[in-house]
Amino acid sequence: MPQVPIIMPQLGESIAEATIVSINVKLGEKVAADQEIIEVETNKAVMGVTTPCAGEIAKIDAQVKETYPIGTVLGYIEASEKDAARFAKQAPPPPQREMAEEIPGRSEEKSGNGAHFQIDKSAVRTFRVSTQGAVPGGGLPVPAAAKGAGFLSPRVRARMAELQLTNADLAGIAGTGSGNRVTIKDLENYLRQMESATASDASAIRAGVADAMRRSWSRPLATIGSSVNLDPVLTDRKQRDPKPGPALYALRALALALVENPAASAKLIGARVLQSNTIDIGLAIEAQDGIIVPIIRNADKTSLADLTTKYEELVSLGRARRISPEMQSGGIAAVSNFGTFGVEWGTPIPLPDQTMILGLGVGKKTPRWDESKSEFVPATEAQITLSFDHRSLDGGGAGRLLKRVIELLENPAKL
Amino acid sequence: MSITYLEAIREAQAKLLRDDKRVFIYGQDVGGTFGGAFKATKGLAKEFPGRVLNTPISEDAMVGTAIGAALEGMRPIVEMQFADFSSIALNQILNNAGTHYWRTNIPVPITVRLPSGGTKGSGPFHSQSMESLYAHYPGLIVMTPATVEDAYTMLIDAVAIDDPVVYCEHKYLYYHLKADNLPNDGMPVGKARIARSGRDLTIVSYSAMLHESLSAAEEIAKEGFEIEVVDLRTVKPLDTATVLASVARTGRLLAVGESFPWGGVTAEVIARVSTDGFHLLDAAPARVNAKDTPIPYHPNLWSTHRPSSKVIAAKARQLLRE
Repeated sequence: MPQVPIIMPQLGESIAEATIVSINVKLGEKVAADQEIIEVETNKAVMGVTTPCAGEIAKIDAQVKETYPIGTVLGYIEASEKDAARFAKQAPPPPQREMAEEIPGRSEEKSGNGAHFQIDKSAVRTFRVSTQGAVPGGGLPVPAAAKGAGFLSPRVRARMAELQLTNADLAGIAGTGSGNRVTIKDLENYLRQMESATASDASAIRAGVADAMRRSWSRPLATIGSSVNLDPVLTDRKQRDPKPGPALYALRALALALVENPAASAKLIGARVLQSNTIDIGLAIEAQDGIIVPIIRNADKTSLADLTTKYEELVSLGRARRISPEMQSGGIAAVSNFGTFGVEWGTPIPLPDQTMILGLGVGKKTPRWDESKSEFVPATEAQITLSFDHRSLDGGGAGRLLKRVIELLENPAKL
Repeated sequence: MSITYLEAIREAQAKLLRDDKRVFIYGQDVGGTFGGAFKATKGLAKEFPGRVLNTPISEDAMVGTAIGAALEGMRPIVEMQFADFSSIALNQILNNAGTHYWRTNIPVPITVRLPSGGTKGSGPFHSQSMESLYAHYPGLIVMTPATVEDAYTMLIDAVAIDDPVVYCEHKYLYYHLKADNLPNDGMPVGKARIARSGRDLTIVSYSAMLHESLSAAEEIAKEGFEIEVVDLRTVKPLDTATVLASVARTGRLLAVGESFPWGGVTAEVIARVSTDGFHLLDAAPARVNAKDTPIPYHPNLWSTHRPSSKVIAAKARQLLRE
């Protein structure tokens, strides 16, 4: 009886291979058409490989826990003549291919010359090329000469290097080259406007922030937000001297939440997840011409009172421009209190070497539903947002962290 | 007064024969009243008796004899009837003439004139452009004059140079190209000329293809692009500095030549610009050559085999839009 191959199917766009989770049939077992017989796992989900037709399992070549590319023959089904004939056309291409008969480089000019001499086929050596195994690592093949909107010619790049421009600076240019790429002419025309507008040198801080934000933005960032009742914090604050601002409460809450859930702030570099040993959190301070973010080390071990003292020191240092780069490096998270500007909510951008930033908005008197009283009661509410690098943290993890931060903020005795 | 490219060559030879006793012309059918297959030596045998000599039909012997004469202090001009036949003298030109100075410290001041390039119906053995082949070998200077003025001054320079010079004169330009008068001196040998100023794209070319390139540039000027055209004049030595300066202005390079596409002058131009001027390029360099087949006889096939201003313009347009 003829055999029909069981082939690893195309399981989704850009899926190149799958791992066998389980094989749910035995040799000799009778199967129906479209029956799920093998379970495979891709990087997206667990899916099933179904039989191409009815018959008997004749051979299983796949092994559990092994990974096979799309198109691999996983086994064979002994099927009827009729079924086999139907599937013969769908069998994978023969694994060996003969060398091209056309001599490369013959049709040099694009307009085509159509003239190439006859080859004595017996004289041509054939080279065997295996087509099994497709493209390891997945992805669509990109032609070598492909240029698109992102292509920067050597000349454009040289000019950019000369002027210390980055890709972000080119965002304002609508390219006129092939695929809408930016040509040298487009760049020079664009730069000409620098001559007409009033130009001045950017300060070191401005340039530094620009560079940091550009680098940070190269990651996929997401933001989640919620509201927090600030009244408990405001009440607690009255009893303290010196008085910590809401941002310090938020910093402390974040620190404690991260102690409970350190994985949330883990950094992803390539395929490795890096965990910090200490909970160091930055606090954004507005300096003369930009934002600086000094890091408060061991924020989980620093009491709110000590945080307040530390903060006062940093503010005066910041005004005196004495905050060094060392004081701003490291750290696993940061807090930004844009509420001081009256801003209700925002999507701050994490520092480039950190995975998250907590943003605190301005507190406003808001009606809050009180279930016990079955009525709206006034409360001082603020919007609190958490922006994070979605490569290392998902909405669920970020959500749980934010929820815990809010819990702690609404119970300042725990801070 | 109107003088053709061919007449300029004849005038240059007349001047050389007149001014320098060491000069003599050596080729097939150049002497007597015949004056050469293309009449490049018409009347010269009569004016300079014993100085314009007929040879047997043996390019090997022609160049070999000329090398011997040059070693004895003379300045022979060898006229090949067609560039294509010079392949028979390859060993003499490349190995004997080209290496002699390097091996013995004695230079070989011969000039070999090659009527190059195709005309309608001349076919595969009467149409070749061999400058790429000769430029490849060390020890030779390869000239490719594109204008009447250059044809005149560069031939005079060629004979004055102590090294072997392969002088590629283009048959198509012989009667088609005319000038008003002959100059007294020209640009130095080895320097390229900006034949047309531009700013959007550089075409580097030589010999007959210069005129096709200029024609293409005029065509494209109507579309709002200004093409700069460089006339190499000599392909060996190649004036890299001028080419780089031009690409520095325009950012785009199109090399045009009439020889076959594999390797050659256009490939050399692109290789040099890619290596030394990579950061000047706003788009990948391109080239236009003849097709990679023997040169056809049939006029229709021949006219599509060599680059024409249409083909050059099409390639330029594509490059401008990249």
